Amino acid sequence: MEIIFEKLEGKSLAYRMAMLVFAAFAVGGLISTWIVIEKGICVTGMTNRVPWGLQIVMAIYYIGLSAGSLVISGLYGVFGKQEYKPFARIAVWIAMLFLIAGMLSILTDQGRMDRVFVEPFVHFNLQSMFSINPILYSGHIFICVVYLWALFTERKRFTTIIATIAFGWAFCVHSGTGAIFGFGARVLYESPLLPVSFVTAAMASGTALMILLIVGLFKITKRYLDDRLILWLGQFLAVCILVVVYFLFIENAYRAYVVELRPAAMYYLFEGLHSILFWVGLILIGCVIPMFILFRKKTGQTIKWIVFASSLVVFGVICERYVIVLPGLTHPQEILTGMHITQSAIQEGVANYTISLAEIAQALGVFGVIGFLFLWGMKFFKLMPTEAVIYDQIGMIKRNEYQKRREAKSIKSSE
Amino acid sequence: MDRRDFMKMTGGTILAVSSGTYAFQFLVASGRSVSGDNIAAGTVRWGMVIDLNKCIEGCTACLDACRTENNVAFHGDNRWDVHWIRKVKAEQKIGTESKEKSILLLCNHCDKPPCAQVCPVQATYKRNDGIVIVDHHRCIGCRYCMIACPYNARYFNMKDSEHWQNEERPKRSHGVAEACTLCAHRLDTGRQPACVEACNNTGAGVLFVGNLNDSDSEVSQLIADRPTKRLREELGTEPKVHYIGL
Repeated sequence: MEIIFEKLEGKSLAYRMAMLVFAAFAVGGLISTWIVIEKGICVTGMTNRVPWGLQIVMAIYYIGLSAGSLVISGLYGVFGKQEYKPFARIAVWIAMLFLIAGMLSILTDQGRMDRVFVEPFVHFNLQSMFSINPILYSGHIFICVVYLWALFTERKRFTTIIATIAFGWAFCVHSGTGAIFGFGARVLYESPLLPVSFVTAAMASGTALMILLIVGLFKITKRYLDDRLILWLGQFLAVCILVVVYFLFIENAYRAYVVELRPAAMYYLFEGLHSILFWVGLILIGCVIPMFILFRKKTGQTIKWIVFASSLVVFGVICERYVIVLPGLTHPQEILTGMHITQSAIQEGVANYTISLAEIAQALGVFGVIGFLFLWGMKFFKLMPTEAVIYDQIGMIKRNEYQKRREAKSIKSSE
Repeated sequence: MDRRDFMKMTGGTILAVSSGTYAFQFLVASGRSVSGDNIAAGTVRWGMVIDLNKCIEGCTACLDACRTENNVAFHGDNRWDVHWIRKVKAEQKIGTESKEKSILLLCNHCDKPPCAQVCPVQATYKRNDGIVIVDHHRCIGCRYCMIACPYNARYFNMKDSEHWQNEERPKRSHGVAEACTLCAHRLDTGRQPACVEACNNTGAGVLFVGNLNDSDSEVSQLIADRPTKRLREELGTEPKVHYIGL
């Protein structure tokens, strides 16, 4: 059976309103970025003790979403699951956009944005993770473009090849991003496990986002979507979360077990705002509740519950990213071994960081730009399938039933 | 134009642009000359010795001299103030007694600087004479060096500084990271760093800067004769600031 892709008409009120909202976010972000360029980073919540903030949290979150959604397209491209072909184009499109979102977040975080387009490319430093990652990122965007082209032109063999490359590259991209922190010098960053756990969290958040997006798009545009496609994704998501929890456990158990790292582990787990985000945001809302919903037979087989669980995971992973970036910085470095600093001109001990309005506006701005581009793309490219059906007996029966119902409905409404 | 031609053209353009970029990089790199770079590696290796036993309680001569000499930003807010050198009070427990000490903290000009390793644009680098320095005109302000420095010795210009007492040195503008330069501009012209000069003027004589590769230099002598310590030696960063009485 051939799957037909089409452009969205883009004339409905919902479409226009969404475009307007995204554009408003983007303008807000632009204004905020201009203020940061004019006045300096002092308008954000960052300080000399906590030099990274919300923008970096969002950057790695977006990059994670990108790598994760590429996995969904890989179901068709790499593993040849024909039933997931309808989502392949949207998945690659969103993967490309979220990587751009990640790069926009990093760009707007720099002290000298004007230099970012030249210096990293002419003064390359192979020893720096920050130098290696831009290559991975720009390569990822390039691969996504080629991948999309292969999907648009329906080149089957080439799609498999480029999808496999993209799949592998997405792993490298996210491991590389994890390595920015994992290979770092801070006690709460340093961990060879971090790149791997980054990848799993990315897969969880990407899958959750794709579930939300697919169900939402099909519902709003009134297209037929076979439930079983989403049910399987739901189960896949549950397994991803389980792996995330496993890695989190190992990492924290290690820190709590090693005497030298124990104070840092205690700080991470039980002190300050981040520990609340860790336990409530990440563990409870982001992992335990979604897993309970997805693994339970009754709720795990219901689309509404899966969508609910996915939105929890999408939120939970933001918390996960926050508790990677911030506690590592607010936790004091031990400069003077065995001594306690009692008086200093800078903030010593545990530093504090409060998210500022400027950073929130910037983060929403990046989201606005990407949302706008996404909807624009849906209108100008043939990304949206007319339907998503599993072409077996049950699938065909279900689809026919759905069509009959719709026809009956339209007759009723025309009467 | 058919597809083959298009592919050829695209490939050609990519090749031309990338080779052009590297040619440019080569030119820029070869044109680069900071006086310390011209010193043959191994002849001079600047280092510092701080004799904390002589440091006077409440004295801020070195801090003030540094700020004046280098126009280091001060805004009166501990979130944004920049301190190339700072004085802290630290408590040490020895048995049941606790002893308080004043300690000067600054960039350690490590022989294996983590900040330079992580800099994505090579704006932070180690000169041949061992001084770790930031190129203000190249730094993109990513702040990865601040994350990497285990000594909290790096600062970021969070906002523009109005402070411009020494017009021979640049005014500090926002958006770039910086740290102590060991007054490289002074050492290059045979003068002592501002902090050392100011400290000597008070008569305390806490700070010494000299060539660590010269066994007859004052700093080498001090390190040889007196018990000295360096901060977080176990990290393997090989700091070049040695402390007496830490």
